[in-house]
Amino acid sequence: MSRNVADAARKFLLLGQCVPTVKQNAAKIRVKRLELDENLLMYFRKEEFYYCHDSEKICKTGDIVLIQALPEKLTKLITHEIKEVVYPFGDITDPVTGKKVSKEQYKEDIERQTELYGRLKSTFNYNKAPPRGWQDGKKDFTSKPTYTKFHVFDENDPYGI
Amino acid sequence: MPFMKGRAPIRRTLNYLNAGKLVLKDKIKVFSVAYNITGQNNVGTKEFCFWYLPQIQYKNPDVQIVTLKNLTPSPFIKCYLDDGRKILIDVDNKSKEDILEHLLHTVGKSKETLDLELLKAEKKDNPANFGVGCDRSCMCEVFGQVPCSGVVPLPKFMRGKYKNQTD
Repeated sequence: MSRNVADAARKFLLLGQCVPTVKQNAAKIRVKRLELDENLLMYFRKEEFYYCHDSEKICKTGDIVLIQALPEKLTKLITHEIKEVVYPFGDITDPVTGKKVSKEQYKEDIERQTELYGRLKSTFNYNKAPPRGWQDGKKDFTSKPTYTKFHVFDENDPYGI
Repeated sequence: MPFMKGRAPIRRTLNYLNAGKLVLKDKIKVFSVAYNITGQNNVGTKEFCFWYLPQIQYKNPDVQIVTLKNLTPSPFIKCYLDDGRKILIDVDNKSKEDILEHLLHTVGKSKETLDLELLKAEKKDNPANFGVGCDRSCMCEVFGQVPCSGVVPLPKFMRGKYKNQTD
């Protein structure tokens, strides 16, 4: 009984990344944990998948989200709910400075660089770019699990690249 | 040290793991460290993760420790508490000892709380103890010992008022 309590305490608040899933109502979140190997006394990454309830559909694939255990399971699989999206994919705000970041550079620095080099009509502009997900379902199928097609079948499956 | 292969295998000894100083407070459920792989300002954080992270995870097995790489230009540590609050610590250009000290002061349990917890654990360890916080609160609960004087009056020779009567 004490182990159940300890397990529940561990799973209460977790940070994970959203992975592609075919389920329409739930978001699949991958949570990486470190597990101690007793013989080597070394920590190895172990990943667990949780199906989370996402009523407003704020979570997209690749986002890093904070999930919280529901007091009661919604369905047999959905045990957690998405509390908040901490780092949306591709649009991270640096928590220390509050500015938008693109990997290792501030977006304003990139803008300054492009201004200095000379801006063309085709130069990508972060401010004017359409929000993420506008090609979802038409050309971008990464929100569903995809696979490489090695054989051409009769039915054209859009999830195979 | 058997099986001691790899870089700095001393990190994988029980002695080293038990010697961890940082025990996170109970409210903290997620401890995330974000840093870059390259860059001079991340050297301290990288070393912190290399040396101290196994100790922290060993002392706090219920906390989820996440390392996020190449997210932002400057490294930071973010702790998520279970009541929804977050603690953000900027570790840009800090050495691993500085980071550890800062964490000990802000999010670590103080030495007094740790000593108290040790005491409590000791009390629970020894099954022969009785009193406050143990399984048995009074010796009268044990079979074969003197029964509770609140339930059954003690025999005359054990009572102070009989032994020491002066009239």
